[in-house]
Amino acid sequence: MELMQVENVSKLYQEGRGPGVLKDVSFDVHEEDFLGIVGPSGCGKSTLLRIIAGLDRPSSGHVLLHGREVSGPEARISMVFQSWALFPWRTVIQNIEYGLELRRVPKAERRTVAKALVKLVGLAGFEDVYPKRLSGGMKQRVGIARALAVDPEIVLMDEAFSSIDEYTAEVLRSEVADIWKETGKTFILVTHSLAEAIQLAERVLVLSSRPARVKSLLEIDLPRPRDPESPEFVKIHKELFTLLKEELETSLVRHRLRGVKELQELSDLERP
Amino acid sequence: MQKKSFRGRFPAKVLLVRFTPLRSMKDRLLCLLPLATVLSGWELLSASGLVRPELVPPPSRILLTLFCQLNTASFVLTVVRSFVNLTLGILLALFTAAPLAICAGLRRRVDSAMTPSIMLAGSLPDLALLPLLVMWFGEGSLAVILMAGVCAFFPIYFTVREGVRSIPGEYFQVSSIFHSGRRDLLDKLILPAIVPQAITGLRLAFDFVWEVILAIEIIAQVAGIGSFINTSVEHQSVDAAFAGIFAIGILSILVDRCFFGFLEERVKRWA
Repeated sequence: MELMQVENVSKLYQEGRGPGVLKDVSFDVHEEDFLGIVGPSGCGKSTLLRIIAGLDRPSSGHVLLHGREVSGPEARISMVFQSWALFPWRTVIQNIEYGLELRRVPKAERRTVAKALVKLVGLAGFEDVYPKRLSGGMKQRVGIARALAVDPEIVLMDEAFSSIDEYTAEVLRSEVADIWKETGKTFILVTHSLAEAIQLAERVLVLSSRPARVKSLLEIDLPRPRDPESPEFVKIHKELFTLLKEELETSLVRHRLRGVKELQELSDLERP
Repeated sequence: MQKKSFRGRFPAKVLLVRFTPLRSMKDRLLCLLPLATVLSGWELLSASGLVRPELVPPPSRILLTLFCQLNTASFVLTVVRSFVNLTLGILLALFTAAPLAICAGLRRRVDSAMTPSIMLAGSLPDLALLPLLVMWFGEGSLAVILMAGVCAFFPIYFTVREGVRSIPGEYFQVSSIFHSGRRDLLDKLILPAIVPQAITGLRLAFDFVWEVILAIEIIAQVAGIGSFINTSVEHQSVDAAFAGIFAIGILSILVDRCFFGFLEERVKRWA
């Protein structure tokens, strides 16, 4: 059985008016998968991730984890947030321990786990530092360690590299690829960066503009570590970009002004 | 609009007096300069005979009186009594205002239902309640504590509510993701998050309630440092009255620097 099945998930606005956010989104996630989710900005990628996380309920359809419906946050699903969302009153190690603390794991055991994770994410020596003294990249390392601490099967990442400067993000991405390989966990990454999705994911789910449907699901069959300048990489990038551009052009007809701006932003973003 | 009415409730002075850490020895000495000037000017004025020392005793005599008074049990007990009443009043307010403020901060509905009434109650002059409280509870410490509690309620309520409202939504998502129960949500998210605002609220309440307590003790003749000052004036021992005032000043500074200063330093490590 697949690890996770997303079946016909739709999400309407709260009042049920308008075209909705998600429409009949279906896909499977298998074990040790690394799924990237891309789509035009504001298309509902993050809403989809929140539904998978059990933070939000779909208007119709289900998310199944091991065949059982996800109706709220699951112990086996953990999440990394775009703006880190570290608790400022907790030190690095206390932030990492937070999930274990809620699970009433004895203190000595949580320290052991947290210390190992501090090493894994390369923050040794910063255990007792408060988040305000950390750079964005370091904060996100803590965010990743906190998500891993509870030993989840699935790690969700919501634009996890978007609030970090590009150089640091590059380093962190390759570290996340290593962590994914080492831990054998399943990762689902929502991102607006096509290159990021191609670099990390095994498969890339392309969503259409609002209401988001599954436009395409691409296998990225490239050897790791992936070189963004290799011809295969560039080819996939172009393919994805064409898909998204089509999507933006259709949405252009629908929302003329907003679409123009989006297309402009996207082209600026993806220009090498 | 809410902020405005909240500010309007307190004299500007209360909001401006903040703990400012002194940087160097030189700064420390500099800040003593005006104090020394005023005190020596005052001393000279009293010594020159331009004012009658029975009405304005020189600071040296006040300090001497204060020193002597501090060695008498009755004076110390008077100060302690006022201070205990003040503390109990603030604690009473903390344990009633904080839970309400947390509910209001978390739920928009509760806030819309409750906060307007609390603002209305807060805009009434607190001291006007005093005669009623005295009538109901007698001229004892109970009336003072209740009055102090009423006065401290509003600054604590509004600062704590603001603290809860300013917790980023993502923090709540983090606690949901990790399966936080209600108890953990309070212990591990809300309470630690509102500490900075709660300190501000308590500090405002402390400054405000001191003045109210003194007023009550003077008006209603409830035993305490206020009535001590009043009686001293009535018995024409003005230096004792001044000694009482100095004692309050010193105590306030100590609480401000030691208690609130300490808390703020701790919070500054992370905030």
